[in-house]
Amino acid sequence: MLESFGYLAISWLDPWLLMLTAAGTLAGIYVGAIPGLSVTMAVSILISFTFKWSVNDALALIAGVYVGGVYGGSRTAILLNIPGAPSAIATALDGYPMAKRGEAGEAVGLTTVMSVFGGFVGVAALALFAPMLSDFALMFTSRDYLLLAMIGILLVGTLSGESFAKGVFAGALGVLIGMVGLDPMTAEGRFTFDTITLMGGIPYVVAMIGFFGVAEAFVQLHQLDLPAVKQKIDRVIPRLADVRRYFRVALRASGIGTVIGALPGTGGDIAALLAYDDAKRSTKNPEVPFGEGAKEGLVAPEAANNAAVGGAFVPMLTLGIPGDAVTAVIIGALFIHGLKPGPLLLVETPHLFWFTVGNLALANVFLLIFGLTGIRIFTKIVECPKAILLPLIIILSAVGSYAIQNNPVDIYWMLLFGVFGYFLKVYGFQVGPVILGVILGPMMDANYRRAMIGARNDPATFIWDFLSHPISCVLLIAFLALLISQTPLGRLAREAWRGRRAQGRGAG
Amino acid sequence: MSSRAQRRPGELAFAVALLALSLWLFAEAYKISGFSGLSTPGIFPMLATGLMVVCSLVILLKALAMTPAGGGLRRFLTDITPLRQTVMVVLVGLYILAMPWLGFLAASGLFLFVSIQFLWRRAVWLTALVSLAGLAAIHVVFSLVFQVVLPKGTLLQGLF
Repeated sequence: MLESFGYLAISWLDPWLLMLTAAGTLAGIYVGAIPGLSVTMAVSILISFTFKWSVNDALALIAGVYVGGVYGGSRTAILLNIPGAPSAIATALDGYPMAKRGEAGEAVGLTTVMSVFGGFVGVAALALFAPMLSDFALMFTSRDYLLLAMIGILLVGTLSGESFAKGVFAGALGVLIGMVGLDPMTAEGRFTFDTITLMGGIPYVVAMIGFFGVAEAFVQLHQLDLPAVKQKIDRVIPRLADVRRYFRVALRASGIGTVIGALPGTGGDIAALLAYDDAKRSTKNPEVPFGEGAKEGLVAPEAANNAAVGGAFVPMLTLGIPGDAVTAVIIGALFIHGLKPGPLLLVETPHLFWFTVGNLALANVFLLIFGLTGIRIFTKIVECPKAILLPLIIILSAVGSYAIQNNPVDIYWMLLFGVFGYFLKVYGFQVGPVILGVILGPMMDANYRRAMIGARNDPATFIWDFLSHPISCVLLIAFLALLISQTPLGRLAREAWRGRRAQGRGAG
Repeated sequence: MSSRAQRRPGELAFAVALLALSLWLFAEAYKISGFSGLSTPGIFPMLATGLMVVCSLVILLKALAMTPAGGGLRRFLTDITPLRQTVMVVLVGLYILAMPWLGFLAASGLFLFVSIQFLWRRAVWLTALVSLAGLAAIHVVFSLVFQVVLPKGTLLQGLF
């Protein structure tokens, strides 16, 4: 026990490790805030020049970048309506309306505190329940991942926007974009039109940059003549009453984030969406409606995506299975350093486990410090003339698209998605489901086919598998309830329920 | 979910275009492996495009149920694709096309200067200064810090 505590405190007591964690967290915030610079990319770059370092030094820097990067995506989501990362898509729904009201400082402050809270919950779960969580994550089968991905897309399709049909269309379009390229199972071309260019597929970051960054820049050209909203930054640190008020939402969201983060192959993006939806359903009287700047809509996704960081480390450290893209890269780093993430890691190298826990906690402390001190400078972005900001966003988008695989074709895709995204936005579609579709489409496809092959291509067996397993059954019920709630049938049921309650009151 | 009584300019045409696109993509998805099995590479693309066809039909029917926007093409050009948007799309297109010849730095500098001048309409020297500062910041972050290999121009022989 004492030995474990010693490992836990290493990065807190060593000045060099403290400095590396701080530098990583600060860099991560800015990497996460720039669309096109992903945390995965940053961590990959770090591995290339930290492989000669000691494992503690390398992990300290990487953990800092990871924690900072997940949070950083919310900055541009709030200030510009351009999420820096997919996990910040839900944050933009209420964060940007707050910035439009001049409350960017308060929004970023609240986001910082709740991200840190979520981060600590995730780390605590990693420390206390790692073996249990990994056992639970292993119970999930391919059909459960299929349902989880479908719920994720359906959620973002129904969260806001004009109609359910438009949300589902956008999600399906995203799934389709995600299908472009060679089929990973049979290497058969899908939507490649016999061109080599399309065989490698379309990176989801390019779609994200096009649909969010470029499309948003074109949309904001309509508001070029509007004066910039003066941001109130006199109150950056949230009031204690506010923190207390949103504590329940943050705690629930952190729980969701930790569990979803622990599921291999998922990540902060699904976690944030599920938490946002949970907050929307469980908050009875928000100060302002969701989608118009509700603080609960800001707290939930941010607490969840940072909690998912701790969650993602659970299967990585205990099973050797990456929880998300970043932990997949970190696994590579651990192998480079001669370590073997997996069931024996806790037995052979317990110090690494406890060092990681302590380091992630430290990164969250630095996140609080840097998150609350850089807001004044950051909010100036919103007050910068749009005539300067929008061309810069387009350049950043072009570089970000090119940087992914040094392919000029990706920049053409970026522009095409940008123009198409502009029309989608103008005609009341959301672009969030498109991005989620691109990310989750391949996962859905692979898991559907695995589940179907597992059922020997027999539809009856396939359906029975969903009904006969508890996790699948619960997820199926959740999916169907979500689907029905968006159809006329759901509306009729709600009206009948309200009518019955009114009658009951009348009788009373 | 909001409900509108009036169509936006061009909304019906856009809905028709989405339906046409969805039908074409469904046909392309069918070509992958048709209905030959339940776990073939084409099954999920067909499900996705099939869903797109159904949704775009619903979107089209809803658009038809609304009253027309009025103003025709003129209103579409002023509300949806005003000159500012059109010029910017053209400028971005030219920028992307010029990048392989001019290289990233020269093409980006030129794009920044022209687009900021077009949108901001301030003194040329001020626009040039802002463009240069923006370009320098991007160059430092991407080329120096992240060591991203940015396209070099064939026309200027790798000078930029």
